[in-house]
Amino acid sequence: MLENKANPTINKSTGLPRKRFYRARAHSNPLSDSHFPIPLSPSHVDHSLRYPQLFPSSDQFDSSKKIQFVDIGCGFGGLKISLSTLFPETPMIGMELMDKVTVKERILGSRVANPGPYQNISVVRTNSMKYIPNYSEKGQLSKMFFLFPDPHFKEKNHRRRVISCHLLDEYAYVLQVGGIIYTITDVEELGEWMKSCLENHPMFEALSEKELDADHVVKLFWVPQPKDKR
Amino acid sequence: MEEYRVEECEHDDNNNKTEEDTQMVESEQNNKDVEVAPALISVHPTQNSVAVAVGSDLRVFNFLEDCAVTLVDESGGASHNDSIRAIKYGANGKLFVSAGDDKLVKVWSTESWRCISTVCSEKKVSAVAVGNDGFHVCFADKFGVVWVVNLPGVDGAEVPLNKKAVPFLAHYCSIITSLEFSPDGRFIISADRDFKIRVTIFPKKSLDGAHEIQSFCLGHMEFVSCLAFICTSDCSQGILVSGGGDSTVRMWDIISGSLLDTCEVGAKAGQLNSDSIEGNCSTVTDICTIPDCTLVAVAIQSLRGIMLLCCDIPSQTLSVAKVKTATLITIKTVINSNKGWFSLHVLETCFITFA
Repeated sequence: MLENKANPTINKSTGLPRKRFYRARAHSNPLSDSHFPIPLSPSHVDHSLRYPQLFPSSDQFDSSKKIQFVDIGCGFGGLKISLSTLFPETPMIGMELMDKVTVKERILGSRVANPGPYQNISVVRTNSMKYIPNYSEKGQLSKMFFLFPDPHFKEKNHRRRVISCHLLDEYAYVLQVGGIIYTITDVEELGEWMKSCLENHPMFEALSEKELDADHVVKLFWVPQPKDKR
Repeated sequence: MEEYRVEECEHDDNNNKTEEDTQMVESEQNNKDVEVAPALISVHPTQNSVAVAVGSDLRVFNFLEDCAVTLVDESGGASHNDSIRAIKYGANGKLFVSAGDDKLVKVWSTESWRCISTVCSEKKVSAVAVGNDGFHVCFADKFGVVWVVNLPGVDGAEVPLNKKAVPFLAHYCSIITSLEFSPDGRFIISADRDFKIRVTIFPKKSLDGAHEIQSFCLGHMEFVSCLAFICTSDCSQGILVSGGGDSTVRMWDIISGSLLDTCEVGAKAGQLNSDSIEGNCSTVTDICTIPDCTLVAVAIQSLRGIMLLCCDIPSQTLSVAKVKTATLITIKTVINSNKGWFSLHVLETCFITFA
């Protein structure tokens, strides 16, 4: 495969970043206060910068169009690309702690390759476990995604799990009443843990089978996400 | 019995050293070379007594009988083995709590000055609060978890209880610097070093945890160091004021979390200080209010004295009312007040009255 001389990290045929050139460490320490900027409060989040088509100017802030979906630990953003076509008018954001995973480039690449869609997705590098209230107001979100979170097997590290009884308080705060948390894992113990945290938390209840079947988003989880084009 | 329990608490530190522990221990060791725990002072709501903590030493002075109080603790020796980090009287005046680096939270009856309960914390304690009804004691540890202990039907004559604390809410991996109950007891406010203030609804069944967050008060640009409530007859819900490392005092509406006003006290202190000590060190170290009064006293690191702010409730603004300087050598000042007088604790206790 010929590589573009100017930028060998971009796949010539699709214009999307090639994962092999973005070797990421599997874990990033969520405790270290890396120097990424954090908005002072949800009203300080600049929507026009992230979603230029949906919010043409930062002055005219259309309050009905706030970020509604958040993907925690979005990695390469595969889920959001799929969600974007299902919900084209809904602004959504992915949060990722690792900085080598340059999701932004993939999104920009997608926007260039397919003009029109993908205007409603963006990504921010941040520690969502500490700073979600800085990005979202109370009851602003309608969906939150936690796909394949880090299992943190050792018991002493269980506090670092992204779904925990204490953090669920904050997720309940940013989610609107009736908002939905989606989570999936391939580690059985983690699955049991998350299920138990959610069931024991007074502000969350499980969706019924019928509701699950009717939800289109759930079907997305079973489609292999295009992580890269090697 | 007492020794066994203390050992149990210390034991987990050595065996379960996680990366977080290492980070915390390292930073504390660095700090230990430079700082000692600040002296603390707390005044009884009806001015009966005052409690002072210096290092691991806790002393209480009884104003009514004009004498020092002997603290009765079943352990016999010193009540705390390491620096005391937080002390507080309950709003109804019946309880007093002390806690700190020895991972013990001690609840005292203010009538008999007996330690009626000793609670073991897994980690060092950074802040305490006592519920207005006198039945709940909350304390925060250095990992950002706030614990609650129930003290039902406590009365000084009972045998000391050693209750277990239950985790209640948490600020993810943040040191909580201040814990306060709202004057009406509906909410518990927790402030941390990551610039956040969280307002949580205090539940009826506290042992199930406090899961419903009312609001976040976001706006400080540095760590939040202290919290206090202004409470007057026409505003019984109370207005929250907070001070921080960004040299500001801010006023908040806790129901919505919105910032009502900001007072740049560091800048104002800088204008008055012709001989500034450490350059730009204007952290707000403590704030304090008087019941039924709209004055707020602010202690600022670089200011030798106290700044008084006046809160105007109708316009919801804060402004500087007066600055009282004092010729004292201070690094950290802690203030507490009641019924119109303030005490300034430096190296020796010194009382300044404001008419």
